[in-house]
Amino acid sequence: MIARTTLFLWIAVWTVLALLWAPLVPALAETTRVLYFHIPAAWISVLALAWSMGHSLAYLKRRRLEHDDQASAAAELGLVFCIGATISGSLWAKAMWGSYWNWDPRETSIFFVLLIYGAYLALRSSIEGDERRARLSAVYSAAAFVTVPFLMFIVPRIYFSLHPDPIINTGGKIQMDPRIRISFFALLIGFTGLFFWMLSLRVRVLRVARRFEAVDAERAGSAA
Amino acid sequence: MPTRESSFAAAWAILRKECRSEWRTRYGLNSALLFAVTTLTAVSFAVGRMGDRTDVLAALLWVVILFAALASLAHTFVREVEGHTLTLLRLTAAATPIAVGKLLFNLLFLGVLELVTVPLFLILMGAPPPHWGLFLGVLALGSAALATAATLVGAVIAQTRGRGALFAGVSLPLLLPLLAAAVSATRAQWSGNPVTFELRLLAAYTLALLAASLLLYDHLWED
Repeated sequence: MIARTTLFLWIAVWTVLALLWAPLVPALAETTRVLYFHIPAAWISVLALAWSMGHSLAYLKRRRLEHDDQASAAAELGLVFCIGATISGSLWAKAMWGSYWNWDPRETSIFFVLLIYGAYLALRSSIEGDERRARLSAVYSAAAFVTVPFLMFIVPRIYFSLHPDPIINTGGKIQMDPRIRISFFALLIGFTGLFFWMLSLRVRVLRVARRFEAVDAERAGSAA
Repeated sequence: MPTRESSFAAAWAILRKECRSEWRTRYGLNSALLFAVTTLTAVSFAVGRMGDRTDVLAALLWVVILFAALASLAHTFVREVEGHTLTLLRLTAAATPIAVGKLLFNLLFLGVLELVTVPLFLILMGAPPPHWGLFLGVLALGSAALATAATLVGAVIAQTRGRGALFAGVSLPLLLPLLAAAVSATRAQWSGNPVTFELRLLAAYTLALLAASLLLYDHLWED
């Protein structure tokens, strides 16, 4: 209860501070403000993917359905954050670059993450049986894991990026105004906390659902 | 525990069995060839000859190959499930030799498919002659990566409800890096630019996928 309230207040207060107290980056003008929501969403999409893949590998090793719960819940939430990052990024791209979608390396990589989530969840929904679903989707997740470093490596080499880290971070992270940096990292922590809180809720729901199913099956067995 | 030699023998036997059962009906190869030619015709008919646009040609070539592969490479596993022969097959060999045998078959299958599609493509699209050594190298490495990814996903997909319908979409994330590298390499060999980076990347990707596959094949079937 206390943790939840703290999280809520933390995000609320830092959102207000980020919008009113922190200055704008000159090169980005008013669009600076998307930074406090877009980058945390993008970061959580990647974090959730890593979390999901890590638990998939753990499932293949230990064969405990708790790992599968973590993997699937992280993928579902990751997809939501990933859609948020894609849409906010696309709107920002329209404002700054003049088009919603241009296959910039960042756009390509977020699209790729979106694609993995989509394929993973579509695959899950079409497999019957808890064990089999857990096993096969973990196999797929592990295979998709292999592609990630290659994509990070090849995409920037083939396409040229206009994404603004080079603009904000020329010569390291020194030139960013400290107020922007503080609000940004505070919100990054806040949204990461939000993700893990939502994740724990989802995992608990999955666990309860499985227990109900087991009870139902038992009851049906004793009635027959 | 099977010895190393017996695993190789089993994989070899699976490959021979696949070839034989494919040769008896030729159903898979016929439909794949027909599909490839259909895609090729659609592409060629829609854009006409474009000998001077090798950048577009490189992309179209890989789109045709990708479509042909996606339409046919899950077939080896789906056939076992639909014919109810998978259980029997699994009694005769372990998971890894079965999957390796099927991977070799898919590689061969893709080779035959390209033997027909690629020359036809070059002729129909009026492509300038490629640097044969580099071109064939890119084709071989790209096909190896394609077959490796498709075999692993095909084995997973065969156990789902959607099967064929899901195969293309679920394979796509694994195929995107190879598609990007293969297209850029094909483009580079036509315009005379160096392709070593892309070739190395394709080789590394194939090896990484193969290594992951060999570790994962064991988990494909259990129940």
